[in-house]
Amino acid sequence: MKRNAFIKTTSFGLLSAMLPIRDLGKNEVILGHNNKRYKINTRWSQADVARYPVNNCHEMVQDKTGRILLLTDETRNNVLIYNKNGKILDSWGTAYPGAHGLTLFNENGEDVLFICDNNRHQVIKTTIDGRVLMTLDYPKDAGVYTKAEEYVPTETAIAPNGDIYVADGYGKDYIIQYNYKGEYIRHFGGKGDASAHLSNAHGICVDMRDKANPYLMVTSRVQNAFKRYDMAGKYLETIDLKGAWVCRPVIKGEYLYAAVLQSNNNTGGQSGFVTILDKNNKVVSNLAGSTPQYQGNQIEEMYQTVKAFQYPHDVLIDDEECMYVAQWNSGKTYPIKLEPVI
Amino acid sequence: MEFREDLSDKIRTCYLIYMKNLLLLTLLLLNAITTNAQDNFQLARPLLKYTSAFFTKEAKVEMFFAEPNTQIYYTLDGQKPTENDQLYTQPVRITKSFTTVKARVFSKIYSPSDVVEATFIKDGLPIKSIENTTPNQKYKGSGAITLIDNKGGTTNISSNTWLGFQTDTVEVVLNLNKKEKVKKVLINLLRDYGSWIFLPEKVEIYAFNNKKNAFYIIDDKVFTQDKNIDGAVCVPSIFELKNGIKTDKFKIQLHLVKQIPDWHGGKGNKSWIFIDEVKAYN
Repeated sequence: MKRNAFIKTTSFGLLSAMLPIRDLGKNEVILGHNNKRYKINTRWSQADVARYPVNNCHEMVQDKTGRILLLTDETRNNVLIYNKNGKILDSWGTAYPGAHGLTLFNENGEDVLFICDNNRHQVIKTTIDGRVLMTLDYPKDAGVYTKAEEYVPTETAIAPNGDIYVADGYGKDYIIQYNYKGEYIRHFGGKGDASAHLSNAHGICVDMRDKANPYLMVTSRVQNAFKRYDMAGKYLETIDLKGAWVCRPVIKGEYLYAAVLQSNNNTGGQSGFVTILDKNNKVVSNLAGSTPQYQGNQIEEMYQTVKAFQYPHDVLIDDEECMYVAQWNSGKTYPIKLEPVI
Repeated sequence: MEFREDLSDKIRTCYLIYMKNLLLLTLLLLNAITTNAQDNFQLARPLLKYTSAFFTKEAKVEMFFAEPNTQIYYTLDGQKPTENDQLYTQPVRITKSFTTVKARVFSKIYSPSDVVEATFIKDGLPIKSIENTTPNQKYKGSGAITLIDNKGGTTNISSNTWLGFQTDTVEVVLNLNKKEKVKKVLINLLRDYGSWIFLPEKVEIYAFNNKKNAFYIIDDKVFTQDKNIDGAVCVPSIFELKNGIKTDKFKIQLHLVKQIPDWHGGKGNKSWIFIDEVKAYN
């Protein structure tokens, strides 16, 4: 009888203790604005740190079977392969000490990868399980490099015809275009004061949102901007993203998503966020960042408002519209997953 | 419930185990809920906007933070702002020299931000001319008057209010209009570890003795680098001169941190010194 009484009291105590916690639900963290708002899950990865360590988590892609691939510069496993629930399925790669850019291309039905390695000054094309198919050294034919060290590729983009565009984002800021065989075609961009020039050309993608009119979207990170070029490298337009050190542009559906490494008002202060642009390249949402505001066509300075991220370096949007954020220099932490809030 | 009195000990034990498991489950559930609630993020610091932190009559400071359901609270007395302090609703006017504005942002969802601060400084004694070590080409400000033009006090290093140096020693010589009894010398420095800008290791102040035709040291200050601070902040460094010094010429000597400490990404490299204003007061 005494025991029963004890249990009853304890259960009742627990129930009442739960009430204020339920109240917390009202203040649940939702990041973002307008129709692009997300719930954050900082404990998505189930990887065992001892077995699958990461250093900088640089970029992520999803393959045709739905698996999530993460590229890290930890040479014990340069590529970690997850399922969408954060379970490690596989890993490979020990030869990429400067692993930085990861692009997936569906080549005649087969997924292939393009890895940019900062330290090796090379771009490496591999199969989805890591077999090397092609290695691109520094582009001697461009006539603007005297040695490999001047060339520090950060990102690739592959056109539907197989042309390879490499962004030399930590080198001379040129975009180098090759055909699918890796033969040099042309280069453009580069450092300088004109609109067509780039400063820290950290990312590039082929924007196919207007199917009749594909073009290149290129990051000019120090200028806090994206720049549009046609597929032959002719400069078209600058998309000013005042305050935001944007990494590579990632297109999914009608939207463009980008990790923002840091805010210009607090560089070196773990002040990153994620920005989302609509099909007109207007910012509609900032996750952990300021509410986007325009004065006419001019965006007001953007900045981090919530310290949910440290230094986001890439975003991936999966086939279920969930977002993954890989981070640079963030205490060797695994990616963060965010689920859209309807 | 009385029937339980008649249960055998065995059944009673089963019942207890069942209740214990229920308890454990509840605890687990509770733990899961509170674990989710652990994503208790902190707000970033609000933004201060002003044309210059140096003024002759008054300064005006605006505060920004574009995050819904947040409030900015501020103080002007140097204390760390709480929700009992002044709520920011409109630009703040400042007329008193050496007023430090401190602001923080609060919300119900996130924990309060760290402090953002700026010190507003009134003009000092008239300065006839100034000479200084040649700054780095990239950060040469707007020429010789950069340090005495009453412009600056913002943390934007690409504005032309800052002079940036990477030489081991930086010298600034101030010539006053006439001999004055100077009680205070001010030098406004920047600390921005992200851009490799450190406070100097040491700053020495010299006054000129006309009879001896030489400078003599009147004060110095040693700076320590606090690695726990992030973000960029102006550091107005004030030298109080006991009883005042009668002179018309000063020299300020700043010594660079020649090797960035080990905790910093740029360890072993030379740091930078950034200065945007120098003043003297009687």
